[in-house]
Amino acid sequence: MSYVELHCHSAYSFLDGASDPAELAATAAALGHDALALTDHDNVCGAMEFAHACKGVGVRPIIGCELTVEVPRRLPRPVHVTLLVENARGWASLCRLITGAHDGTREGKGMREPLPPTLPIDELERHTAGLVCLSGCARDGAVAGTWERGDPASAINLAERLLRAFGPDHFRIELQRPLWRHDRSRNRWLASLAERLGVPAVATGDVHAHERSRSPLQDAFVAVRLGATLDESEGLRRGNSATALISAEQAAARFRDHPGAVAETERLAERLRFDLTRELGYSYPGAEDGSADRRLAELCRVRLVHRYEGTSHRAEAERRLEEELGLIQELRLSGFFLLHQDMLELAREVAVEVRGPDSARRLLPPGRGRGSSVSSLVCYLTGLSHIDPVKNDLFLGRFLNEELTEVPDIDLDFPRDIREKLIPRVHERYGPERSALVASFATYRARGAIRDLGKALGLPPGEVERFARAVDVYEASRDAWARMEETLGKLRARSPRWRALAELLPEIAGLPRHMSQHPGGMVISTTPLIELCPVQPAAMEGRQIVQWDKDSCADAGFLKIDLLGLGMLSAVERCVDEIARTRGQRIDLSRTPLDDEQVWSAIQRAETTGVFQIESRAQMQMLPRTLPRDLDDLTVQVALVRPGPIQGGAVHPYIERRKRLREDPGYEIPYEHPSLEPALRDTLGAIVFQDQVLEVAMALAGFSVGEAEGLRRAMSRKRSETAMLRYRERFIEGAVGQGVSREVAERVFGQIEGFSGFGFPKAHSAAFGLLAYQSMWLRVHYGPELLCALLNEQPMGFYPPDALVHEAQRRGVEILPPDVNVSEADCRVETIGATAGSSGNPPVRIGLGYVAELTGDDAEAVVAERRRGGPYLSVSDLAGRSGAGAASLQRLAWAGACDSLIEADAVPVDPDRDLRRPALWEAGGVAHASRTDEGAQLALPLDGSPAPPLPTLGPWDRIVADYRTTGMTLGKHPMELLRRGLPAEVLSSEDIARTRDGARVKVAGMVVARQRPATANGVVFMLLEDERGTINLIVPPPVVERCRLAVRTSGFVRATGKLEHREGTTNVVVSTIERLSPEELPERKPRQIAPPIPQETGRPAAVPLAISKRSFDGVREAAMAELAASLPAPHSFGRRGR
Amino acid sequence: MRPGRVNKPWPVPVQTGPDGRPQAVGRLAVESVREEWLVEDGWWTQKPLQRRYFELVLSDGSDVVVFSEPDGRWFRQRD
Repeated sequence: MSYVELHCHSAYSFLDGASDPAELAATAAALGHDALALTDHDNVCGAMEFAHACKGVGVRPIIGCELTVEVPRRLPRPVHVTLLVENARGWASLCRLITGAHDGTREGKGMREPLPPTLPIDELERHTAGLVCLSGCARDGAVAGTWERGDPASAINLAERLLRAFGPDHFRIELQRPLWRHDRSRNRWLASLAERLGVPAVATGDVHAHERSRSPLQDAFVAVRLGATLDESEGLRRGNSATALISAEQAAARFRDHPGAVAETERLAERLRFDLTRELGYSYPGAEDGSADRRLAELCRVRLVHRYEGTSHRAEAERRLEEELGLIQELRLSGFFLLHQDMLELAREVAVEVRGPDSARRLLPPGRGRGSSVSSLVCYLTGLSHIDPVKNDLFLGRFLNEELTEVPDIDLDFPRDIREKLIPRVHERYGPERSALVASFATYRARGAIRDLGKALGLPPGEVERFARAVDVYEASRDAWARMEETLGKLRARSPRWRALAELLPEIAGLPRHMSQHPGGMVISTTPLIELCPVQPAAMEGRQIVQWDKDSCADAGFLKIDLLGLGMLSAVERCVDEIARTRGQRIDLSRTPLDDEQVWSAIQRAETTGVFQIESRAQMQMLPRTLPRDLDDLTVQVALVRPGPIQGGAVHPYIERRKRLREDPGYEIPYEHPSLEPALRDTLGAIVFQDQVLEVAMALAGFSVGEAEGLRRAMSRKRSETAMLRYRERFIEGAVGQGVSREVAERVFGQIEGFSGFGFPKAHSAAFGLLAYQSMWLRVHYGPELLCALLNEQPMGFYPPDALVHEAQRRGVEILPPDVNVSEADCRVETIGATAGSSGNPPVRIGLGYVAELTGDDAEAVVAERRRGGPYLSVSDLAGRSGAGAASLQRLAWAGACDSLIEADAVPVDPDRDLRRPALWEAGGVAHASRTDEGAQLALPLDGSPAPPLPTLGPWDRIVADYRTTGMTLGKHPMELLRRGLPAEVLSSEDIARTRDGARVKVAGMVVARQRPATANGVVFMLLEDERGTINLIVPPPVVERCRLAVRTSGFVRATGKLEHREGTTNVVVSTIERLSPEELPERKPRQIAPPIPQETGRPAAVPLAISKRSFDGVREAAMAELAASLPAPHSFGRRGR
Repeated sequence: MRPGRVNKPWPVPVQTGPDGRPQAVGRLAVESVREEWLVEDGWWTQKPLQRRYFELVLSDGSDVVVFSEPDGRWFRQRD
């Protein structure tokens, strides 16, 4: 007997199914199933992945969905029906139905989570063509579920209604056997109903896991979905492991009372022949345009004359253009390029609106190309790229070649504000039915899994969090298990609940948790998208997403346009505007000189904090060794610190050969084979760029460009060992056939294989290299403006704002704290009445928007009222006029932004006295205006009581207050205070620069970054900051293991190790590392909270109690903990965050 | 009087067939199996639960609920 599973959930039934499509497909094959259906809840997110996975293992995929339907006036709650696609028409119907179910799910105001999708039953009845409907699952199904809830009359009514809508050939009564109490009686009733209606009954398994061992995870998912614990969610869990995929024999045994229903699965499956991988019928706008070839060619030829007139590259450009146009016509892609150009024109319109007609930014292009498309001359001429591919000798084959099988990708970077407006404008231009954003699926990694599962298991939240923080963000879940004992002790780790967590971690790893939107990928279609893939509203208003991620969209052949928001582009634009405002200069970045000596020498000294792409700790280590001198060098530099070149062994040969060349210009680069010289000349014989992999394969092994691209894809996407083996054989045979020795061929293939991690194409690197240079140029010549722009565009880049301002202070840029009478909402460079800092530069004033928990509206309102009514005279004046709420006022006072108002009170003030406490006191006692839609409702001008003499805020408290309110401190660096408690042998960053190489040193500092690159074999790199500068630590794996908590979680550390000075870089190779212990804090008295007695009673103050050493230790401990909790999040293991 | 558990299952001898389904409970033969269900729960606790339940009609006409545990022991429980 055969059995086909027609009701099966994957993990794309988010937080319900517990197996991914590949696991289901593989298990179905192993159980001997010919076909398998996927019916996730209200989506087809996993359908394309499932279809390919099934085909890979010889199982025929059937696509469907379990749709939630509401029956107004008849049923009190929504029910489920199972829909299966019979043909292409059915697929279109299903997509429309799912789209309809999600319609309006984001319409409520202030909703973080969407409403559950549901479709009115009359909508379902309108789109039944090509679909087979099963009557639904045992618990929530339209028929069985309604019977279960004791309403057989409604169940019969609903069955009859579905039968009328779908017809007897396309409707089946669904029997399930989840091994619950009333299975047999329910199925007896359903079978008799089927007989009465004259339709067959069909057996299904309501599969939620590929095998029984995954059932605990399915239980846990239910609890996570409900936000409850496993104990609390008993009634809503499935209660057993019967929902795993089963064999035909097991199905026959389970449905022994209904053999006909089992046989029906095969008969029905036989009809469900829709092939998602082949029958989608997608085309993009312009694909069928007969005039596209001519229009594109005309446009490019005219622009070529304009761009290359009088240059030495003109002939080469003309030759290359004709070659490219020929290729594009052959691939029928002219419409594709015109569509992108149309998009860019749209972006140009949006840019004018966003920037304003008089803005200094108007000189900048609306966006820039990135990725391999930058190598295309057609892209350059149509404005899709800003890098001249002829002058820069960029290789086209990675982007376009005659053997291309998929639509190529063109990625465009936009400043964030332009992108925000552009996306809804694209929806308007192409129609909401024809354009949507690409989805992305958040998948479980160790930390998120620990938090979700820990809560479901009812584990103590504090311990769960400690454990979660002790694992690396990208750490494999299996390794995370090992951390449990270490973090929580053996007793805990062996208790059943913690053990269950440890066992679930490897199971959950990589499974999708929820759907969100891709950073900027959009798909556009000629036929309505909602018939090709369901579309649902995104969290951001005016946006919608298709239910497929970029891989599924690529598999579907969808044209995906990446409209990406690039923080540095936004920062550069802000900077250009700020320069125009402060200095009256209009900067055209396309005309900045590319040979500015000051810029290049700053790059060579690695003074690159805040500079695009070359600011990371790793890049700063490399720059003094490679000493880039021009844009070509910078193009290599940007690509060099990537996993591909590092694993491929390209970095050290490149650095070494550059050094040799500097010392001896006659030095001959050693190539593995002479045929590789043209491909690898620019990178001194090393494989640095992705396209060099292609060129090497073509030059050495005689690969065609398509074959070479196939090799690259085999390396980068989902790396297939079989495919790589095939390519290896072909590569070595090809090379040997061209007279290359086998040994060399194997060695070169080894380098290519090592490259298989991520690497940049040269074109992408050239585009990023130029932006790196431009941002460096702005840093050198307009430091305050660039700093200001970076602060306003956060979060972005490698460093938190605190590190950015400290570095700027060290180079003489003055930064002023927020002030309600001076600051704008954003940070600004001060011009009016400002005195230039010691560097001769104007100071940067921190904006009110930097005060944490101050709402954007409050910050704007404070500024707007000041502009309207003049400076605030006192805290009560501020409270009365601005409409800022009590909480906002207190935050402003605590941030020091109201200090000037206390001075304005004309109370004699000691210049060293801190004014935050008096300001806070006053803020607490004044009447507030309230803001309404019509404006501020003024409060009575009642002054609060003036502050009594309050204890002065000490320097330590001031730092804590700074970090808590603005995330940065502008006064004393914490290490300056901590230094006093440290022994003299602990050196500062300035001291170690003067200490001899090889010396054993002790250093201490605040952690700014910690990284453990996958390419570094467990070594952790840490960047510390002290009051003088930064210190690089290299922490070898044994030290990482021994001092794990200090390395992973401490905000301040003290390290001992060996000092290494190498070619302009300084590192400490750490032998021990620990957190700065409380004994090393400056002593601080316990706070006296009560008001001083003389003011209150007239009696003299009591003699302070003697304070024991133990109390002081407690105070120190608390102070350290307070600061640690307030510190800005460092760059921590791949992300900015603790 | 000590407080006791209500409806506490009590051990009962059950003969099973090759498919593991009951054929006799005590001295009474099983006439028919009305329902069969499975409860697996509490896998995260010290007392995980795994019970295969049967609702049976016995030869004397009585309707009983029995369950087996993974160690092979059988219990009877009031419905």
